[in-house]
Amino acid sequence: MGPERSVSRAAAALLALTALMSPGLGQAETPDSQISALKAELAATKSELTRTQSALEALERKVDALGVTPAAAAPPEPPMKLETARIAPINADNPGISFVIDGQAATNTQGNDGAGFLLATGELFISAPIDPFLRGYASINGTTDESFNIEEAALVTTALPYNLTVKGGRFMADFGRFPHWHDEALPFVDRPPSIENIIGGESISEGVETSWLAPTDQFIQVTFGAYNSVGADRLFDSSQFGTMPGSQRSPSQWSYVVHPQTYFDLSETTSLDLGASWLTIPTDANRELYGIDATFRHQPGTSSFYQGTVVGVEWLWNNEQFNNVVVGTDPVTGDDILGSGRFRRDGGYAYVESFFNRRFSLGGRYDYAQQIFGPADRQRTESAFVTWQPSEFQRLRFQFDNIGTTGQNDQRFTLQWTAFIGSHSHGFAAR
Amino acid sequence: MASRLVSLSVTLILGLFGASHASAALRVVASLPDVADMARQIGGARIEVTTIAEGGQDPHKVPVKPSFVTKLNRADALVVQGLGLEHAYLPALLEVARNSNILPGAPGYIDASLYIHPLEIPDSQSRTQGELHPLGNPHFNLDPTQGKLMARAIAEGLERVDPDGAEVYRAGLASYEKLLDGKIAEWDQLAAPLRGLKAVSYHPDLIYLAAHYGIELVGTIETKPGVPATPGHLEDLIEQMKRQKATVVIREVAYELPLAQQVAERTGARVATVSSLTGGLPGTSTYVEFVEANLRALVAAATAQGPS
Repeated sequence: MGPERSVSRAAAALLALTALMSPGLGQAETPDSQISALKAELAATKSELTRTQSALEALERKVDALGVTPAAAAPPEPPMKLETARIAPINADNPGISFVIDGQAATNTQGNDGAGFLLATGELFISAPIDPFLRGYASINGTTDESFNIEEAALVTTALPYNLTVKGGRFMADFGRFPHWHDEALPFVDRPPSIENIIGGESISEGVETSWLAPTDQFIQVTFGAYNSVGADRLFDSSQFGTMPGSQRSPSQWSYVVHPQTYFDLSETTSLDLGASWLTIPTDANRELYGIDATFRHQPGTSSFYQGTVVGVEWLWNNEQFNNVVVGTDPVTGDDILGSGRFRRDGGYAYVESFFNRRFSLGGRYDYAQQIFGPADRQRTESAFVTWQPSEFQRLRFQFDNIGTTGQNDQRFTLQWTAFIGSHSHGFAAR
Repeated sequence: MASRLVSLSVTLILGLFGASHASAALRVVASLPDVADMARQIGGARIEVTTIAEGGQDPHKVPVKPSFVTKLNRADALVVQGLGLEHAYLPALLEVARNSNILPGAPGYIDASLYIHPLEIPDSQSRTQGELHPLGNPHFNLDPTQGKLMARAIAEGLERVDPDGAEVYRAGLASYEKLLDGKIAEWDQLAAPLRGLKAVSYHPDLIYLAAHYGIELVGTIETKPGVPATPGHLEDLIEQMKRQKATVVIREVAYELPLAQQVAERTGARVATVSSLTGGLPGTSTYVEFVEANLRALVAAATAQGPS
């Protein structure tokens, strides 16, 4: 079969080639009328070419003449008008894509021997307007501990009346201040332990929230949210909190958040942000979480613009019913006793960060944290951190933590190296 | 007692919400002091202008304050210098300001760069070249001939937002252009000693001014736009200044003085402190004062005798 096929292919190719080389093949003989028409067309083309040539020569002479004219004598070029606004090319904004690389190296004096490297965050962030009424963003995050997760994937309205904005999908619920900041946006190498314990990491949620900006000179914004749950741990771990992530539940088992916040310009260079947050799971008052936060900023203007100080405080109170959790230890066997219990736990942090110039800042933090259920395991952490930014897009930070728990102290040293590929901004929320 | 409480609450609520209708003037927010002053000169009492950034600030690093959000929320128009100069703070504010009338491309978004022919449009967007502005160098406001074009774009924008005020804006523009024309002629005389001057600046924000007055810029103290000086780069810059016989180090007021002084000392050059924005130097609350102060500082450094 093989040789036969090659022969027939070659014959077909030859036939096709002959057909291409002989345009008249298979057509009737060209009549005289067509020949004369073609001749006329050729003559017209010739005269057109002659005209073009003389026009080109005239232009050439003009160009030469311009060359010897002094530049000052040339008439000023009229300003060019564009239609409405100059907007960056479409691929610069639509979508904005970035990737954050947040690597750390850490060592402790207690518990772990030696030191280790860690990919704290590898975050792919994409955002873009979707249409005139909606924008969308997604944050896909991977760490050393976990494979890639969709950390956020949310839609946000942009043109609702009455100063309303609705957000839906999976996103960081607007609770408190640092709970809804991405890791790499924090001024520390870690999330404050108090937030880590009570919120369960970032305030990741699946749900919908509405925020309203008061139409006043005074900045007042109020967020109302309804979610399956609030907190990264609760989203991914169904065992502790009783309900499968993403599963349907009674609306009285949802988590609801109300978060009013305001802002004052105390002087030309100082300002104060204040916020209060309340989270509730209504069924049997299953959970009541209160938070307050305050941020004071000193941002001098002219000549010392890069200097300044930020002081931030946040405190959380949690009162929650837990089921199937360790509530004690059997005195005979030493085994954990599982049961139900209501735990009232609180915690918070205070920090100060001073900026000495455009690239260098130094800060300290005190954190008081309790475990959210079971034994309280009170933990006090004193931290000092120094940050250096070689450019806008990379940062080196060193942090020392003195961690005091019942019975022992641990010292941790962490070096963090963070870099931003592409256009990266979490916008106003992480200001 | 209850009725007194109710009336107090009503008064408070009315005061809170009524404030937005207290003034009949067109509410204009300006991203930067230069366009703010131009809008004021053109619109006069017909408009009420508030400004986001201060003159002494680095426009690439303006703090994002919630008090700006409320101003943008209630603005009839937003005037920007454009070419991406405000990219560090304006998009974040607009995102939460909930005012679609002033978003880029909407009628209330007044872009003062519309008539400018941008210089230094980058061929590459690679960050190996520092912090780039994809649309071109946005510091055209330092050159008053560009300022005239800015004023025209602003006047047309105001007329678009407030057609009833067309006559006011046209008259305002005509008188402001006349003022600028007179000043530009004066400044051409004043700045005559700058022609042929060789200088370095801290950031590449002098290029429009330098092109108009014939200053030859031979480098920047920053390694690349927005990227701080490295020791190796400074050595190269000093070498280059000596070879080219550059005599002035131009330091913009938002950047630190000591480094500029060090470079000047090592090259025998003089430091001229200028501002890239109106209001950055003392006594420069208007655009005209700003241009004049910059030119006087440059001429003083260019014509000074003896060591700096």
